[in-house]
Amino acid sequence: FMKYFQVLTGNRTIAKEDLEPVLQKFVGHLTSKNVALDIAEKLVESIGSSLEGKKLSTFQGVTTVVKTAMEESLTRILTPKKHIDILKDIQLLKGSRPYAIVFSGVNGVGKSTNLAKVCYWLKANGHRVMLAACDTFRSGAIEQLGTHAARLDVELFERGYGKDAASIAGDAIEYARQTKHDVVLIDTTGRMQNNEPLMRALSKLVNQNTIDLVLFVGEALVGNDGVDQLTKFDKSLSLLSDASKNNVRTIDGIILTKFDTIDDKVGAAISMVYSTGHPIIFLGTGQNYTDLKRMNVKTVVKTLLA
Amino acid sequence: MVLADWGNQISSALAAMSNSTIINEETINHLLKEVGNALSRADVSMSLIIKMRKNIQAQIKLDQMAAGLNKRRIIRKVVFDELIKLLDPGVTPWKPTKGKSNIIMFVGLQGAGKTTSVTKLAHFYKRKGWNTAMVCADTFRAGAFAQLQHNATKAKIPFYGSESEKDPVAAAKKGVEIFRKEGAEIIIVDTSGRHKQESELFKEMSEIETVIQPDNVIFVMDSSIGQAAYDQAMAFKTSVKVGSVIITKMDGNSKGGGAISAVAATQSPIIFIGSGEHIPDLEIFNPTSFVSKLLGLGDVNGMVEM
Ligand SMILES: Nc1nc2c(ncn2[C@@H]2O[C@H](COP(=O)(O)OP(=O)(O)OP(=O)(O)O)[C@@H](O)[C@H]2O)c(=O)[nH]1
Ligand SMILES: Nc1nc2c(ncn2[C@@H]2O[C@H](COP(=O)(O)OP(=O)(O)OP(=O)(O)O)[C@@H](O)[C@H]2O)c(=O)[nH]1
Ligand SMILES: [Mg+2]
Ligand SMILES: [Mg+2]
Repeated sequence: FMKYFQVLTGNRTIAKEDLEPVLQKFVGHLTSKNVALDIAEKLVESIGSSLEGKKLSTFQGVTTVVKTAMEESLTRILTPKKHIDILKDIQLLKGSRPYAIVFSGVNGVGKSTNLAKVCYWLKANGHRVMLAACDTFRSGAIEQLGTHAARLDVELFERGYGKDAASIAGDAIEYARQTKHDVVLIDTTGRMQNNEPLMRALSKLVNQNTIDLVLFVGEALVGNDGVDQLTKFDKSLSLLSDASKNNVRTIDGIILTKFDTIDDKVGAAISMVYSTGHPIIFLGTGQNYTDLKRMNVKTVVKTLLA
Repeated sequence: MVLADWGNQISSALAAMSNSTIINEETINHLLKEVGNALSRADVSMSLIIKMRKNIQAQIKLDQMAAGLNKRRIIRKVVFDELIKLLDPGVTPWKPTKGKSNIIMFVGLQGAGKTTSVTKLAHFYKRKGWNTAMVCADTFRAGAFAQLQHNATKAKIPFYGSESEKDPVAAAKKGVEIFRKEGAEIIIVDTSGRHKQESELFKEMSEIETVIQPDNVIFVMDSSIGQAAYDQAMAFKTSVKVGSVIITKMDGNSKGGGAISAVAATQSPIIFIGSGEHIPDLEIFNPTSFVSKLLGLGDVNGMVEM
C-alpha cells in the first residue's frame, strides 16, 4: 500500500537498480537498429546519469521516462548545430570564383553517384556546374563520371588515369574559374580509413586547393565501422594542413547513402553524427538523380525507438 | 607474452578469470557478456549473439572441469569453436568441373565489390590453368561496362559486354552463349547491384539466373555491413540459388561480423575474402584467422600456441 501511495504522490525517485535493466534493454534495442555498440552505450550511460535520483512524476514508469529522455537526446544529436546552406554559399561566391565540393569516403559507398545527384540538384537551382574526375585509380571511374556528365549536360574535367588527383583538382578549379562555372564537384577515389598513404593523398587534395566543402559519403548499411571511418577521415584531413595557418581541416558534412536498403535499421545516422558532430546534409535514397533527400530528424528518431 | 598483446575485452576478461582463483557462475557470466559485446562490435547480428551465448553456456560445465585443467584455455576454446561452427554451414563448397563450361553468376548489394571480385576470381582460375572469360550483365550502372573492360584488359582475360544493350538478361545470355561456343571452362557473369526493397531488381536477377542456368551463384558482401546483413542475405538466398559467399574489403578495419550473419542466412560457405583493390588481392577463406580478426585477436599463431 505504501508503494502505491508513493507513486500517486510522485515521491518515488529513480534508483540505480530500477534504471540499470531498462538501460541495458535500450542498448540492445539501439544496437539491433544498427547503432554502433560503443555509441549506444555512451548514449544510454549519459541518460542514466541524468535520470538517476530524479523524481518520477505520477503514473510514470521508468521505461517511459528513459524513452522520453532518449527521444530528446537522439533529436538533439541529429539536429545540426550549424546550418550549412550550400545554395547561399554558392550565391555569395558567384562571379568571383567557383565553389568547390569534395566527395570523400571509403570504397563503394556511393560517392560518384551522389555527386551526380548533387549536380542535378544544383543545376535545377540554376547554377553552372562542372564535374572533376579526380578518381584516377578505379577502373571505369572516369567513364562513370563522363556518363553522368553527358546525361546531366554538364562539362567534365578529366586528365586520364594514374595522375596526381590533387593537381587535377587544382587545374579543374582554375579551369572552372576561367570558364565561369559556379560550382566544381570533385570526385575522389574510395579509400580505406586505415590506409595511411591514401589518406595523406586526400589531405593533400583538400589542403593544396581552395575547397569550400568537404563531404564524407557513408552508407547507411555500415555497422560499427562507420564510427571509425568518420573519425579517421575527420582526423586525416589535417595531416597535411598548414599548421602555421592554424586552421584544422575537418569534414564539413555527411551524405548518408543507401538509406533505401536498410528498412528500420537507421542507426548509422546516430553513430556517424555522434562520433564527430558533423551534420547529415543529405540522405541518398536510391540510384536515380532525384533520390537525394533532406533528413527528417523526427521520423528517424521515431524509427530508432520503435 | 601473447596475452598482453591482445588488448581487447575478451582477453582481458579471460585474464581477469585467471587471476581470480575460482571460476564461478559470476565470472562465466561476465565473460559471456564480454564475448557478446565483442561480437556486437564486430556487427554479428543480435539474434545470433544470443544463440551463441546459450550454446557456450551449455558447453561450459563448471563442475565437470577437472581440477588442474586450465579452465581458461577450455573456455576460450569453446568460444572460438562456437564461432568457427557458425562459419561452417556444413556444405562442401562448389568446385568447377573440367571439360565443360562452368557458369558463375555474381550477385549482391550495390557497391559490395562484385565487379572487382569477378576479375579477381577470373584471375585466380586463369592462373590455375582454366580457360576463363567474363561477361558484363550490368547494363544499369554508369561506367559498369568500362570498369569490367579495363579490368579484363589488365588481367588479360576475354570479356563480353555491350554498351548499347539495355537488357541485362539479353546481355548475360549472349555473353554466355559466345563463350560457351568458344569452349571457355569458366564463365563469370557480373550483374548490377540490387537490394531486397526493389522487387523489380530481384525479379530481373531471377530472370538472368533462369536464362544462364549458373552452376554457382556467388553472393558478395561488404565486410563493413551492420545489422541489415541478415535480411538482405536472406532475400538474395530465397531469390536465387546462392552457393558461395565472398566477403570484400577485409583490408579495412571492419571485423566482418555481418558476414557471419550472412552465412547463417544463406547456409553457404565463404570461399574467398577480398583484401584490397588490386586483382591479386583475393585470399582463400580461412575461418581461424577470420574469427581471430573478428574477436580482435591480432595474431592467429599466438592464439593457437596459448
Ligand atoms: N540503393 C542505393 N544505391 C545507391 C545509392 N547511392 C549509390 N548507390 C549505388 O551504389 C553503387 C556504388 O556507387 P558509386 O557512386 O559508384 O560509389 P563510389 O563511392 O563512388 O565507389 P568507388 O568510387 O568505387 O569507391 C552503385 O551501384 C550506385 O548506384 C543509394 O542511395 N541507394
Ligand atoms: N579496399 C578494398 N576495396 C575493394 C575490395 N573489393 C572491392 N573494392 C572496392 O570497392 C568499390 C566497389 O567495388 P565494385 O566492384 O565496383 O562493386 P560492385 O558490387 O560491382 O558495385 P555495383 O556494380 O555498383 O553494385 C571499388 O572502389 C572497389 O575498388 C577489397 O577487397 N578491398
Ligand atoms: Mg566513385
Ligand atoms: Mg559492379
